Amino acid sequence: MNRTAYLIAALLFVTAGFLISNKVRTGGGDTAIEVSRNLWRVTVVMNIKGEGARAKVRMTLPKDSPRQTIYNEHFENDEMTFYIRERPVSGNRIGFWRSEFLDGSKTLEYTFSAQLRGRTFAVAPEIVPWQPAQFYPPEFKTWIESSKLIQSDNTLVRRQLKTIIGRERRADRIMQKIYDFVRGEVKYKSEKGSKSAAQTLEKLVADCGGQARLFAAFSRAAGIPSRIVGGLIIQGGVKRITHVWVENYIGGEWIPFDVVNGHYATLPDDYLEMYRGDYALVKHIGLQKFDSFFMIGTEHIPPVDNPWSLYALPVHFQSMVKIILLIPVGALVVAFVRSVIGIPTFGTFTPVLLAIAFREISLWLGLGCVGMIVFFGWIFRSLLDRLKILVIPRLAMVVTMVTMMVLGIMIVGFHAGIHNILYISLFPFVIMTWLIERFSVTEIEDGVPTAIRTLFGTTLIAVAAYYLMEEHQLRAYLFAFPEFLLVIMGLLLLIGRYTGLRLTELWRFREMNRLNNEERPKAEGPE
Amino acid sequence: MIGPAGLRRLGLLGMNRRNSRYTLAHNPRRLYPLVDNKLLTKEILQKHGLPSPELYFQIQNYYELRFLGPRIEHLNEFVLKPARGAEGRGIVVVADRNEKGWVKASGEILSRADIEYHVSNILAGLYSLGGTDDVAFAEYRIMCHTRLASLAYRGVPDIRVVLYQGVPVMCMLRLPTRESDGRANLHQGAVGAGIEMRRGVTLAGVHHNRFVDRHPDLGAPIAGMSIPFWDDILKTATQAYEAFGLGYMGVDFVIDQLLGPLILELNARPGLNIQLANRTGLIPRLEAVDRAGKTERSTWAKRLELSRVVAGR
Repeated sequence: MNRTAYLIAALLFVTAGFLISNKVRTGGGDTAIEVSRNLWRVTVVMNIKGEGARAKVRMTLPKDSPRQTIYNEHFENDEMTFYIRERPVSGNRIGFWRSEFLDGSKTLEYTFSAQLRGRTFAVAPEIVPWQPAQFYPPEFKTWIESSKLIQSDNTLVRRQLKTIIGRERRADRIMQKIYDFVRGEVKYKSEKGSKSAAQTLEKLVADCGGQARLFAAFSRAAGIPSRIVGGLIIQGGVKRITHVWVENYIGGEWIPFDVVNGHYATLPDDYLEMYRGDYALVKHIGLQKFDSFFMIGTEHIPPVDNPWSLYALPVHFQSMVKIILLIPVGALVVAFVRSVIGIPTFGTFTPVLLAIAFREISLWLGLGCVGMIVFFGWIFRSLLDRLKILVIPRLAMVVTMVTMMVLGIMIVGFHAGIHNILYISLFPFVIMTWLIERFSVTEIEDGVPTAIRTLFGTTLIAVAAYYLMEEHQLRAYLFAFPEFLLVIMGLLLLIGRYTGLRLTELWRFREMNRLNNEERPKAEGPE
Repeated sequence: MIGPAGLRRLGLLGMNRRNSRYTLAHNPRRLYPLVDNKLLTKEILQKHGLPSPELYFQIQNYYELRFLGPRIEHLNEFVLKPARGAEGRGIVVVADRNEKGWVKASGEILSRADIEYHVSNILAGLYSLGGTDDVAFAEYRIMCHTRLASLAYRGVPDIRVVLYQGVPVMCMLRLPTRESDGRANLHQGAVGAGIEMRRGVTLAGVHHNRFVDRHPDLGAPIAGMSIPFWDDILKTATQAYEAFGLGYMGVDFVIDQLLGPLILELNARPGLNIQLANRTGLIPRLEAVDRAGKTERSTWAKRLELSRVVAGR
């Protein structure tokens, strides 16, 4: 009997191992090995602190393009409202984080995987049109016109352009000349705020932002649609600074130019594009503190073209799925603690439900609430006992009392400034009522010490399950590889066949030790 | 604390092993109601001619509560129990009757309303395993046999016989204390005394998982007492196996002053403290039973004989 169980468990482990390694190696499709060199996992971390009012953060999220594939996006929104909007003109995809009332600190994390490819373009030798505004379709308007910081109709800019290109009308030659000028004449200096195009031309010293703007201004003045593109130069580690470069529309395609790092009509495979247009990557209002950085590491899972993957689910539901995935983990903790360690609990899965509730309100607040509700519930129920109320109506009265207590806690806590407390509305009422009932009955039948011991055991396991569920790595890993549930199943199978002594039994039967010490161990054993 | 190796040397049976090797393996689930439901147990015992306390009446529905009054009107003493109660929960022992009402063994006075309330609690399943609806019943109140009275503090001691595949493997005498409030439940503070199975004589005791030699309230020594009707007890227990068919079970006896040994209830999950009470582990004896052939277990007489051999381990 034992052997069958071990066999099935082994089978589960092997199957899970096979599926997971398969996913990592080939992603279920056919991807070449050299592709794996350019897989990156990027986490954008934003640490914010509110000023006690409405707060909003917006960040442009990267998109797929011929040069990059973005996949396996993962959002940790720290309870802020979150939604994504697509902007038709620029084509940018923007994530919004909002809170109606924020006065504490929050950490927002956006993680994604990116597969990058280098690409080189040929600049077509086409003739630049006389009237670009009429030539190009209306959506190109922003890329052709002058703007506040890209002053393509500034007199000095136009005069300088004439000097650079003279009468040239071929796009490829124009680009080379503009490129050589900006790269050659403007010195690079890292600056706190980027200069506009005109300022850059005046001072001839600028950071990547100023140089890009000047380049774009020249391009637009020459009649070529041009736009700023922002993103990240990928390299393992932590980065704080983004980079900008320029794309020009020539010969029917957008061709990249980076004057700062010397890329002409080409981009290497470590440029990650995050937004288009002359914006900042992140904008925020209502915050007294804002700090962001990027954590970049290598990725092992190739882009999976798998519509059945969990990542294909809408972002809002992904967070629910993450909770669902954690329930077997909690159950594993309970099974281990009950069967191997031997701590008693009220109910088998009450600790898991409590742990999930603790994740909504903070742990200490949750423990405090459980203690308080059970204590007052126990007193209330004992009073009802004296009135000789029938069991079911009495249970219902306790549920009503728990509801009243929770409402009271919410109001008092809110006025005391603990805004987290509002999430107690998600607290499992039924579980609490049931807990109170079991506590009371145990107290009556077995005495207060036993009742408290069992309650302690229940909360202890709830806390252990809570910490396990809080593990970021575990959550992300489970989400990426739900096959891991097979491993949990196998572990549970093994625990189910554990016939050894429980840890608490070693304590419970400790008196027997005296027998071992008194008599000398016999030569033949119990056999 | 003691090391697992030490406990293994003593052959100590832990909960995990008991559940997987013995109760899960030898107790078919469908037979559990026969021992979990005390009324069913009584029925079966009666059918097989095995002794148990007389059943006075049972109450199954709320509307029957109005007939409770007339039923207990003429009773001076009885025991009220939930049919599906576990570990002695929900039991009320009425010892006397006066003009104010019925008097519990502890001296507390109960009015008719109190008793009705208790019965309605039982019916609602407050004490039943799993909280399901239950049946309340009243039975004959045991008068403790004089020989055991010296070790009983305000309650009735009981004798548990654990049988494996119908072979008695270990026995324990459970003595109520003041702490256990007259109940013979080790978890609630009763004292457990091991019994030397062949002669029916008590060994030393255990109280709250610690070895003791004397009753905590009465001071009398625990070891050396001879249990009356011991051979009858073992024989009845062995015969109960055929009636119920559970491979691993405990049979609880009480010894009445007038009627002798009566079976109080059966248990499909007998606890492990019996090992502490007997100062030895169950595993060697269980394995000895396994090693014995089927023929040695075919009749109750043969099984009794086997238990004498096994007890030598």
